[in-house]
Amino acid sequence: MNYVVDGLVQAWQLIVGGDPYLRDVTVVTLQVAAIPTLIAVVIGLPAGVALGIGRFPGRRAGLALANAGLGLPPVVVGLVLALLMFPAAPLGPLRLLFTLQGVYVAQTVLALPIIVALTASAVRSVPTGLLDQARAFGAGRASVAVLALREARVGVLAALIAAVGSALSEVGAVVLVGGNINGLDQTLASAALSEVEAGHFAGGLAIGIVLLVLIAIVSGALTALQYGGGRVAPRVGARS
Amino acid sequence: MTDAVPGEPLVRVRGLRVTRSRDVVLDGIDLDLRAGEVTAVLGPNGAGKSTLVSAIAGIVAPSAGSIERHGRVATALQDPGLARRSARANVEIAQAWWGIPRAERRGRADRALAALGAAELGDRRATALSGGEQRRVHLARAIAVDPEVLVLDEPFASLDAETRAGLLQDAASVIRGRAGATLVVVHDRAEAWALADRVVVLVDGRVVAQGEPQRVLDAPPSEAVARFLGYDGVIRRERSVLLTRAAHVTLEARGAEGSGAAGSGAGSGAAGSGAGSGAAGSGDVEGSGSGDPDGFEGSIVRVTPIEDGFRVRVVVADGELSAEVRGVRPAVGDRVRVVVRGGVEFAKRRSS
Repeated sequence: MNYVVDGLVQAWQLIVGGDPYLRDVTVVTLQVAAIPTLIAVVIGLPAGVALGIGRFPGRRAGLALANAGLGLPPVVVGLVLALLMFPAAPLGPLRLLFTLQGVYVAQTVLALPIIVALTASAVRSVPTGLLDQARAFGAGRASVAVLALREARVGVLAALIAAVGSALSEVGAVVLVGGNINGLDQTLASAALSEVEAGHFAGGLAIGIVLLVLIAIVSGALTALQYGGGRVAPRVGARS
Repeated sequence: MTDAVPGEPLVRVRGLRVTRSRDVVLDGIDLDLRAGEVTAVLGPNGAGKSTLVSAIAGIVAPSAGSIERHGRVATALQDPGLARRSARANVEIAQAWWGIPRAERRGRADRALAALGAAELGDRRATALSGGEQRRVHLARAIAVDPEVLVLDEPFASLDAETRAGLLQDAASVIRGRAGATLVVVHDRAEAWALADRVVVLVDGRVVAQGEPQRVLDAPPSEAVARFLGYDGVIRRERSVLLTRAAHVTLEARGAEGSGAAGSGAGSGAAGSGAGSGAAGSGDVEGSGSGDPDGFEGSIVRVTPIEDGFRVRVVVADGELSAEVRGVRPAVGDRVRVVVRGGVEFAKRRSS
């Protein structure tokens, strides 16, 4: 119980004290969550829309693959990528192992299936009549895709929240690919792990609490975006 | 927006044939859609109306024949398909799809909504509107786009009678005022008559009649077309068959069998809506005595209340006729004198 109290006290001190270590790790954590998620969004949204409303051979296989990707074990992803990034391995020349860029790659691999699978699922719920009507009024593929994303924005933003939340709390792949190097690629989650491994349970708990606060803030902002937009005038009387 | 000369063909369909899974859905279709003209396509379910729309819109490729288009075709599908945005935004986004400059969209949207009696709906969420309101926004979207060729696929489908009548009234003036060509698929003949300069009757994938609505109605080319157009009365003559609509038939009371009230009901206000309109028993039915070829003795076998009176089915010696009467409700079994003015006559087919 003392650990919990100590953890809370330390977390409070870290937050209000503006601890430079905490600030640096928080910045790295946000980078490691934001940049790969952004890359996954850029790649994954078009892919998700194509899998959701497109008509082409192999679409179902693509959907199955994306859904399977939701269950990718981060440790396995980190291990495979680390092996591929060894100097003599195919990705060795890129010198990604134990770098922040390497962590971005690992996080992107984990975020991409989340964005693709959940986006595909979200846009599939858009009424086909609306999309057909858009095509009948001359909308091109890009316009239809934008329409589908806009109509399914609640689901699409849920995909974004899931990807960001997963990236913020990711440990396995970050540690295996990045090495959990303090000041370079250590995140709040991996820092908490280090503290626990060193026997500093209160410190680990304190960082964990900071991480939870960060997740709550980011998720809250995205949730506000998810449900806040697109309000129009309520129904007042009717004319048939 | 089209700058075509009124009457200029904007779509020319020649010998169109469309097949699906080896089934011929459309065959031998010749059709022109002209600038400033509204063409209504009528036909029973499965006649190929939607396929014709898809072919003209370029969604379905012809198996044979040609479709020549002068201008772009926009199609307002049967399902309104509105986005979860305001009604005005829906009208504006359709213009964006069509490629109308941003600066013009708001003005066009407001004008189109106002023309369809939906100006007050502009700020409301489109998906929360009633069915009739959604149809208004849907039509406003098509009108705002103002394509050279506009195809409307059953724009009044799934509406109750009152809503449909209101929308039809508003839509008719807007659609008829278009400079481009308009093709409207309708299920109800009244809609075709209210909207169209020309009707095309499609049966089993073929055009069986086309022309000005009144001309097609007055002179259907075949029994099948006549029956589709509402000719539900039949008098079988020796060498021909006379088909009639209720408008061709007037009833006069002939004395009820066992029901004085019913007899007077049939006779008090019998009237057709066409040539024979007016109170039965008036001079309108001169020359229709029982010995006259246009006069028949008949007996009412069915009475159905309608908006302004009753629709009755009368059995005569050589057939059955429908008529509409006003006033007191006639009764089944009433004897009446039936006067027929008009109708279409077809020679009987010789059986081999």
